[in-house]
Amino acid sequence: MSWAAHDLEPYAFQRHLNLKVAFVPLLIGSYSPDMMSKWFVYGIHLGPWDLKASNPAQFHRGWPGVGFTHSFLFGLVICLILWKGFGSKLWGVSFLIGHWAHALTDTGDTVGTMLLFPWTFHFHLDAWAYAGQTGRMTDAAAYFSGLGGMWDLVWIVYGFFSWRVLTSDYFDNVIFRADAFWPWCNRAVPRGALLTLYRAAFFYGTSRWIAWTLWAHVIHHYPYDLSWGGPHWVPAAHP
Amino acid sequence: MRLRLSTGTPDRHDLIVFGGYCVAAAVYIAIGLTWIDFLFSFWVGVLYLLVTAWLIPTAVRRIL
Repeated sequence: MSWAAHDLEPYAFQRHLNLKVAFVPLLIGSYSPDMMSKWFVYGIHLGPWDLKASNPAQFHRGWPGVGFTHSFLFGLVICLILWKGFGSKLWGVSFLIGHWAHALTDTGDTVGTMLLFPWTFHFHLDAWAYAGQTGRMTDAAAYFSGLGGMWDLVWIVYGFFSWRVLTSDYFDNVIFRADAFWPWCNRAVPRGALLTLYRAAFFYGTSRWIAWTLWAHVIHHYPYDLSWGGPHWVPAAHP
Repeated sequence: MRLRLSTGTPDRHDLIVFGGYCVAAAVYIAIGLTWIDFLFSFWVGVLYLLVTAWLIPTAVRRIL
């Protein structure tokens, strides 16, 4: 489970791949494994109903469950649909890079991902505790108290180190030129708004990282535990 | 085409833009800490940024 890395990783790839990738499918790929499942992991109230997976970790990362969304195969299938079905190799490959980055990043926690699905073995590094089953707030507190939050910080720092990727010149000369999606949008949406949209995921990831860190450690005083597999004050889920 | 990005140093214009985003981020964080649900939605974040980093500056430039 990562809270901000998936917002930020695409900018790091963008820095190195420039015109070889399209940013929109790169970002969608980075978000895609959790797009349909996160709400059911944490649970929602819908009128009189409480909807939540009975075993959130199993549902999110396992099989039976939707854990196959975190596998290399899932990314490859969507890539081929975009490439062969819709005729865009650029979108297909960009999606694949974003998706695989997400799947690999999530091996950092204690549940890990079934990278080689249909083989249901979970690859997990156990660097930080998976605590999605404890609910959104406790998960946030735990994540931003352990190495998961530090891993996000690496991407923030690398993003600032790659600051040129976020400039309007880079947007005009690379992002806009690499993908016909942007000129198509520009027929209805002003260029300034598109530039802001391009920067949005970085803004969101970074601002949210700061906000949740303040919430966890200034407002609520959850203890930091940067040991491997921590924080150990939260019950970590395992495959 | 092969592009190389050097880290370099940002110019005055870059810093002004960055400062604007920092102000927007500070307000976003303050709202989020006051009303935590604000932090949950990516789309709320996008909409917020569009309003603060594009719509309001564009409107102010037109008025001035």
